[in-house]
Amino acid sequence: MTSFSSDGRSLSGVSRRRLLLAGAAGSLVLVSGIAPVFAAGKKPKVGLVMKSLANEFFKQMQAGAEKYAEENKDKFDFKAVGMKDERDFAAQVDAVENFVTQKYDIIVVAPADSKAMVTPLAKAVKAGVAVINIDVELDQEAKKKAGIDLAFFGPDNREGALLAGNALAKELGEGGKVVILEGNPEADNAQQRKKGFDDAVAAGKLQLLDSKTAHWETEEANTLMTNFLTKYNDIQGVMAANDSMALGVVKALDSAGLSGKIKVVGFDNIPAVQPLIKDGKMLATVEQYGAQMAAMGIEYGLRQMAGETFTGWVKTDIKLITAADL
Amino acid sequence: MPEGTESAGERKTATVWDNFLRISMREAGVAIALVIIVLFFSATAPYFATPENFLKIFVQIAINTVLAAGMTFVILTGGIDLSVGSVLALCTVVGATIMVREDLSPWMSIPLALLACMATGAACGAINGWVCEKWKLPSFIVTLGMLNVASGLARVVSDNSTITGLPQPFVDFGNQIYFGVLPSIFLIAIIVILIGWFILRFTVFGRFVFAIGTNEEAVRLSGHNPRIFKIAVFTISGLTAGIAAMVFLLRLNVGSPIAGIGYELNAIAAVIIGGTSLSGGKGSIIGTLVGACILQVLATGLQLLGAEDNVKPIVIGTVIVLAVVLDTYRNRYLRKLEAR
Repeated sequence: MTSFSSDGRSLSGVSRRRLLLAGAAGSLVLVSGIAPVFAAGKKPKVGLVMKSLANEFFKQMQAGAEKYAEENKDKFDFKAVGMKDERDFAAQVDAVENFVTQKYDIIVVAPADSKAMVTPLAKAVKAGVAVINIDVELDQEAKKKAGIDLAFFGPDNREGALLAGNALAKELGEGGKVVILEGNPEADNAQQRKKGFDDAVAAGKLQLLDSKTAHWETEEANTLMTNFLTKYNDIQGVMAANDSMALGVVKALDSAGLSGKIKVVGFDNIPAVQPLIKDGKMLATVEQYGAQMAAMGIEYGLRQMAGETFTGWVKTDIKLITAADL
Repeated sequence: MPEGTESAGERKTATVWDNFLRISMREAGVAIALVIIVLFFSATAPYFATPENFLKIFVQIAINTVLAAGMTFVILTGGIDLSVGSVLALCTVVGATIMVREDLSPWMSIPLALLACMATGAACGAINGWVCEKWKLPSFIVTLGMLNVASGLARVVSDNSTITGLPQPFVDFGNQIYFGVLPSIFLIAIIVILIGWFILRFTVFGRFVFAIGTNEEAVRLSGHNPRIFKIAVFTISGLTAGIAAMVFLLRLNVGSPIAGIGYELNAIAAVIIGGTSLSGGKGSIIGTLVGACILQVLATGLQLLGAEDNVKPIVIGTVIVLAVVLDTYRNRYLRKLEAR
């Protein structure tokens, strides 16, 4: 391409083109300056694969993991990746494959899909990578089929939802009328939380008016809650499967002048809901210690590399958060 | 060299040179860009220039390449197909549902699933095309509608769950790598591209696709009915979405109603980067293949380089726009060459 200049007449046309190409190359060079971390030592390399970083919970997880990595710089090298879209598990598969190519020793993963992620992770295991499953448990049957036995390090979502649901039941008393906002219907943790809420409804003898999905999202939850308020005029309590949706619910109640009167519980304890709980606009949420979960995953990965084996479900902490805790 | 002082010999070299330029500007321009990007990452990103990495990239581009092949047909006629991502999702659950049936042997269920995927995809595409032509609607709106319809249908068919447990021979075929360099699913993508190339290049149908994109009115006035061809290109796009669904199943071994989110935009990006004009009539399917390669090489290269997650979309978005900007310069330059 550089020999174009031998043809004088095309010079003006070509130089513009070359200018643009140079610009393209330039922007790439800029990016390359950002973070090429690849120490050549014998330190193990640890990769963390998360879901959407637009979700506050995973931001906390990333921050926690990075803090832990910073404190243990001499023990391992660390890189975290997240997805643009929580549901794009194909992108997560790409990320896992990229870590395998880069010869990472440990991959800590919060699967975007409990079934779909089994095959690529099984490949990683067979390539000699220590795979640590956190946050959402990989499907048992799929694991068996793929011939891998991975321990699961994560919270009991059903138990957590039951905690939140029980808090609501206690506040409302028997016969309290509630609605549930579910997460993505195909997501494992959404199904577990729904079961937990249902358990609480049964245990507290609540009356369940309606239960629909708002796909984990604030805006959709806002619309759904507004519709619920139109349809039912006697709602007393709301169970949202995550705090992003609880935010949308509280906003809908604000607009209707009902906040504080209708009780709301959520899940995740993201920073944005804490002032709402303090103000009494939300009753409770559930902390599942995302920051510690990733750090713990890394630690278990290092121990596994050192020869330990883990099986079954290693439960991580969950805690009900109310105004008294803040 | 100043004008008007050329000797005959020089004029001849200039013509050869012109031809070379013309080809490199038209077909090879994007390929050169790809080579530059590959060389850049090979030099800077650790593990990029390894056989495993290239094998992995071949595997990763397969789905988008197949989708983009069909998309090329639609865009060449001046249309757009926003439904391919969710049609793919619908086809993955249809195909997976058939393949997990216990009462069928794999040798029955696999071909049946392939047929069902292709038929489902083609049907969605045919509906897109028919609705567009019947009521003279913009394809943007009609296929946006199909995006939602197919997504909802996928949820209904799968009952909101991920379908696993595909037959072992199918899974094995998906993992197959021929001669150590050619993953089976990449081979499928290449075959789709070659068939598309042949149709566009050597068939009457292919010439009509270009003709409609250039000047639909002229096609009509010359006594041909553009409607049939336009319905056909949407059917082709749906058909390739069905094939892409099979590739998805081979690669990920699961059918899922949430597969394919945003894939339509990746496919469109591959087509545009590949030099096909959004207003139709101009472009090539080989360019589309190269465009798909550029997108994935950028994504993988940036990750290996250690770039932040948030930086990746910024760079990729910039490249897409840059490709279109370059295209306008290329056109202007080509016109200057033709005019001479």
